Amino acid sequence: MAIESGQELVRFDGVGLTFPGGSARRPVEVIRQLDLSVQAGEFVAVIGPSGCGKSTLLSLLAGYLTPSSGRVLFRGKPISGPGRERMMVFQQPALFPWLTTEENVAYGLRLKANRSNGRDVKETVAAMLQLVQLDGFARHYPSDLSGGMRQRLEIARALAVDPQVLLMDEPLAALDALTRRTMQREVLHIWEKTLKTILFVTHDIDEAVIMADRIVVMAQRPTFVLEIEDVRLPRPRLREDPEVGKVARRLSTLLE
Amino acid sequence: MRGLAPPRSAVRLIGPLTVLVTWELAARFGLVNTLLLPPPSKALADLTVLISSGYLWKALYASLFRVVCGFAIAVAVGIALGAAMARVRPLNDFFDPLVELLRPISPLALFPLAILWFGIGDGSKIFVIALAASFPVILNTFAGARSIDTNLIRASRSLGASEIEIFKGIVLPASLPHIFTGVRLAWGISLIVIIAAEMVGATVGMGYMVLEAQQTFRTERVFAGIFVIGVIGFATDLGFRRLRRWLLPWYRETET
Repeated sequence: MAIESGQELVRFDGVGLTFPGGSARRPVEVIRQLDLSVQAGEFVAVIGPSGCGKSTLLSLLAGYLTPSSGRVLFRGKPISGPGRERMMVFQQPALFPWLTTEENVAYGLRLKANRSNGRDVKETVAAMLQLVQLDGFARHYPSDLSGGMRQRLEIARALAVDPQVLLMDEPLAALDALTRRTMQREVLHIWEKTLKTILFVTHDIDEAVIMADRIVVMAQRPTFVLEIEDVRLPRPRLREDPEVGKVARRLSTLLE
Repeated sequence: MRGLAPPRSAVRLIGPLTVLVTWELAARFGLVNTLLLPPPSKALADLTVLISSGYLWKALYASLFRVVCGFAIAVAVGIALGAAMARVRPLNDFFDPLVELLRPISPLALFPLAILWFGIGDGSKIFVIALAASFPVILNTFAGARSIDTNLIRASRSLGASEIEIFKGIVLPASLPHIFTGVRLAWGISLIVIIAAEMVGATVGMGYMVLEAQQTFRTERVFAGIFVIGVIGFATDLGFRRLRRWLLPWYRETET
């Protein structure tokens, strides 16, 4: 069942997406001829001008949108809708405010579709909360948590149903600079521990260089893949490292 | 120092008690016309008469029966219609103008019609209460169902929720705070409308009791009636707040 690391997990095959216009609106072409392949276990960052369609890319993969042309393949099969093997982590955490921390994590596990997978709900919830270091906050409601904690909770909820890929849509953009740095380390730590594939959309070039194996640079709308940068620097990487700076500068000239 | 201060609930009694004592003294010492402003003790004495003779219970029962019936209809119809309008566009287009046209009309303006249609008994009161109280329920349910964060629904869909699980687990709890606000407002409106309606046309009820007392110049009974009406409004609203804290512990609303 488990897919070997290094095998192709996700494939965008000549994908185009146009939002149909209304009576007063013109149709908007967001994506044109996009090709991309992501290997299992990879940490891929996606950067590009704001509003270019980076988030749309993740929505296609999550199954919230369907391409107007081309195909989005997951393990070789076209994506037909949302599914727990592809979990989204939203920029503004989409936690269920009426559920406590542990209930939020347990929510997915208790759904009819996931009940038969043999995982013990209590055990899994405890393990997830420990992974994201929220074990002391099991009974708190999301409104009692800080921004960073909410984001960690959202990651825990997504990981609880054991997805194969995490789709992270600017997950750290709403956090203050200090929390953000801590969370970058946290996300890497979670990635290394769980061996999940991660697609990470960000508008912060430094963040992309510090975290990712590969960086996908997107073009202006209608967007496509402008360039893919392999980051072959050893981790942990520091923002102050001149090698990191060199990669970041090259990428930022690409985006100008 | 906090431990030495008297409890806040005791401090909050000072205002009402001062008014009562001043009023009692003013009446006793002949500073006011006791025919128009009898002392509270006299009103209290009349209240015991009303209680022991069973007249109060008869009036209260008649009023509360009408209120509960009208309120129940308003809540049931309001939630169903509000939710349906939020989800089905043509229904919204059909009902919204009707709601907006009827809403500004004083429910008492419709009362003469209600008497023609449903008679002087319970029917006419239940009708106006149901009508007047349904508006806040409709509007708040509508707002609640409309304001659900789409990402909450997307997240639960990704986790594997079925349509029924989304409705029960997400749409319903997410709209509950709004619905609850609407229901609480509806109860307040019901209490206001019933008294006024019973003063316009009734043969039994709290409103009728107060009006009759005024017409026979038993001012102390007018005050006793007003006091009972006030206590019921206060106590039930307190009940609603308790109920909300119990039902929606996660929801933070600024207390008014």
